[in-house]
Amino acid sequence: MQIVATNISRAYGNTKALADVSITLRGGAIHALVGENGAGKSTLLKILGGTERPDAGAITIDGEPYAPQSLNEAISCGIGLVFQEITINPSLTVAENVFAGQLRRFRRGGLLTEKTLAGKAQELLDSFSANISVRRPLSSLDLGQWKCIEIARALSTRPQAVFFDESTAFLNHREVEVVLNAFRALKAQGLTVAFVSHHLAEVGAVADRLTILKDGRKVGDFEAGELDREQIQSRMVGRDMSEGMYPPRAERLDGPPALTLTNVAAIPRLAPLSLTLREGEIVGVAGLKGAGGERLLEIVAGVERPSGGEIRIGPLLGAARAPSESWAKGVAYLPGDRAAEGLIAGASVLDNLVMARPPRQGPWFDRRRALELATEMIRRLRIKTSSAKDPTSSLSGGNLQKLVLGKCLAANPRILLLNNPTRGVDVGARFEIYRSLRESAMKGLAMLVVSEDLNELIGLTDRILVMRAGVVAAEIDDPSSASEDALIRHMT
Amino acid sequence: MTPADVQAPASEQGGRRFGREEARRFFPILLLAVLAAAFALTSSRFLQFNNLMIVAQQAVVLLVSALGMTFVIIAGSIDLSVGAIVALSALVAAQTSASLGVFAVAPACLMGLLSGLVNGVVVAKGKVPSFIVTLGTMVVYRGIVLYFTRGAPISIEDDAFLDVYSGRSFSIPHSAMIAVGLIAVTAIVLNLTVFGREVRAIGGGERIAFLTGINVQRVKIAVFGLVGLLCGMAGLLQAARAMAATAQLGEGLELDAIAAVVVGGTPLTGGVGSIQGTILGTLIITILSNGMNISGLDPYFQNIVKGLVLILSVFVTIDRKKIGIIK
Repeated sequence: MQIVATNISRAYGNTKALADVSITLRGGAIHALVGENGAGKSTLLKILGGTERPDAGAITIDGEPYAPQSLNEAISCGIGLVFQEITINPSLTVAENVFAGQLRRFRRGGLLTEKTLAGKAQELLDSFSANISVRRPLSSLDLGQWKCIEIARALSTRPQAVFFDESTAFLNHREVEVVLNAFRALKAQGLTVAFVSHHLAEVGAVADRLTILKDGRKVGDFEAGELDREQIQSRMVGRDMSEGMYPPRAERLDGPPALTLTNVAAIPRLAPLSLTLREGEIVGVAGLKGAGGERLLEIVAGVERPSGGEIRIGPLLGAARAPSESWAKGVAYLPGDRAAEGLIAGASVLDNLVMARPPRQGPWFDRRRALELATEMIRRLRIKTSSAKDPTSSLSGGNLQKLVLGKCLAANPRILLLNNPTRGVDVGARFEIYRSLRESAMKGLAMLVVSEDLNELIGLTDRILVMRAGVVAAEIDDPSSASEDALIRHMT
Repeated sequence: MTPADVQAPASEQGGRRFGREEARRFFPILLLAVLAAAFALTSSRFLQFNNLMIVAQQAVVLLVSALGMTFVIIAGSIDLSVGAIVALSALVAAQTSASLGVFAVAPACLMGLLSGLVNGVVVAKGKVPSFIVTLGTMVVYRGIVLYFTRGAPISIEDDAFLDVYSGRSFSIPHSAMIAVGLIAVTAIVLNLTVFGREVRAIGGGERIAFLTGINVQRVKIAVFGLVGLLCGMAGLLQAARAMAATAQLGEGLELDAIAAVVVGGTPLTGGVGSIQGTILGTLIITILSNGMNISGLDPYFQNIVKGLVLILSVFVTIDRKKIGIIK
């Protein structure tokens, strides 16, 4: 199936989400759409998928005019869509999730024919070698496999083209691999595959062609291998990225220890670990999900209790029974899921920024100092908002992440614990987050960074601990000379 | 789309001063004005000073407990034991008024505070949903009252007590003055203190507040303690007004208090809400009852109207954008 979109434009109010964008998607090829948040990638996919309508422009499928008015119409024209959000319902079975919304097809006399349902679902999962048995409970599958169930759902309508909107945003590298393999299998069947991703490593791994968008305009179409990663980034951001994403490291790190763990078991019943984090040092933690990295952060943050061992913050004993205790000792924690754990969506930017340590005089909230502090954080992190009193919900993804970071920095911590600090964040905002992290480190802030983005650990940190099954499997003192493959070898 | 098309909706929005957002925000005050006007037209007695003072007196007990309920609801919890705490505190006030006179206020409020703290500790430390905990203590506290009174009313005969808590000065009921004082205190606590912000943060996202270092347990216990304390005061005022404590006192008050908070525009989902809204909500509910009574509306019909007004106000005031799932 060949899809040709010509001169597509779409405006929201005065904002031009897309301006005169043309794109050709071919059958049997994987096409990547890249660009910063707000570049128009998702809008383009939505228009192709019928959930948005263009203001101008035309689309054809194999030469026939195509102007879907709804997702259902797009599906009947042979289009399938997989979204960024997880849309799996955990209280249904695998097969029911594959056919969610179409369960009526499997009724006989008002009852569900489970055997047919399971058989058809298994057939779809096997069609792209997902290697998932429909009999397995959903809780035993990882997020990558859940995504595969969603892919099977998209395939259930027998599409000729499948579009993926940032479908790997919440997955770790192993889960991503599962999804990328699905892309390859669909391509091998001659389907048209298009996907949006922030991760250029994924683009490099599977895309045959890529289209770069910036501010609603097309920068260009490129063949695989035509541009290297830095060239793609420069074109996405519109400025020269040859100096790299990451700020220069500190020259020397011999400050006093900020955090000392002695014989702390990250995971109960597994071997304990010890580590020292010095003032001004950024230490990265790599590892598969469940290897203990996130758990380690949660223990220091006081969310989880350690099973034995000793935690010192500076020279003082610092095991915390709750986050309120750890924050009071100068430990700030940036959780991995900013929507569920990081920010109160209904509150204002200011409310979120000063939530951890509100400026106070006795019991009274000090409004004037709070506004000063919030304004200072907005300036320092370059959070794009018209005022500190704006609702948090008006901010874009990258700015929301800067806001969570601002909330942590506003507490003026000595130790900052970061769980995937740039998840779902575009290149421009990442650049600024890395810059302010390094800036804070220069002032003596010690950081422990857990990340699924291995390049981020390699680029940003002063030292990397690779965790496997609760213990430090390797320690890499010079991350700049490490490679992603080397880290993965230690992780698995 | 031509440029003219793009501009049309924008200018329309600018010209429409009173949009949905404004309707949402000003609905309670509008509803109150409409009700007052309607009753003023149907009954000449409604706007008389004496009737307005009766409204004030009737509103006090509901208002004081609803002030507390505002905190609980903003914190994302619920307290169904409010009416029972009022009855329990009224009992303590009545029992101690003979010996302590005016100072019976201390044991009454202490009883309320204690009952609230018990709720708070079980909710926060025991991690049991507030709906269940207070559903249980509602029955327990009411049971304690029944156990000690054996269902018989306990009358209050201390003149000083009755004079201070249900008398009038300059034709204004003392209870109304006390209520105004409590409005001021609760508004200050909610809006100007760090505690008030923590309550909002917990209601806006409990896990987020917890991970950001707010001592969620302590704040929740304090919130339930605060409601209990206010209900202690409400119980005392109710007992003084009735000149007795009865086992049935305050029955169903918790639902009226929730209704008052919600009609005032504070959503049950937590995180947002205001004392002003609760005052309006209380006045709406009280005036609705009072007005329907004095205009001679069939008493059997009144409940139907009250229920419909509750649904109507939530229908208009609820901010559906901020609430993902409506359960």
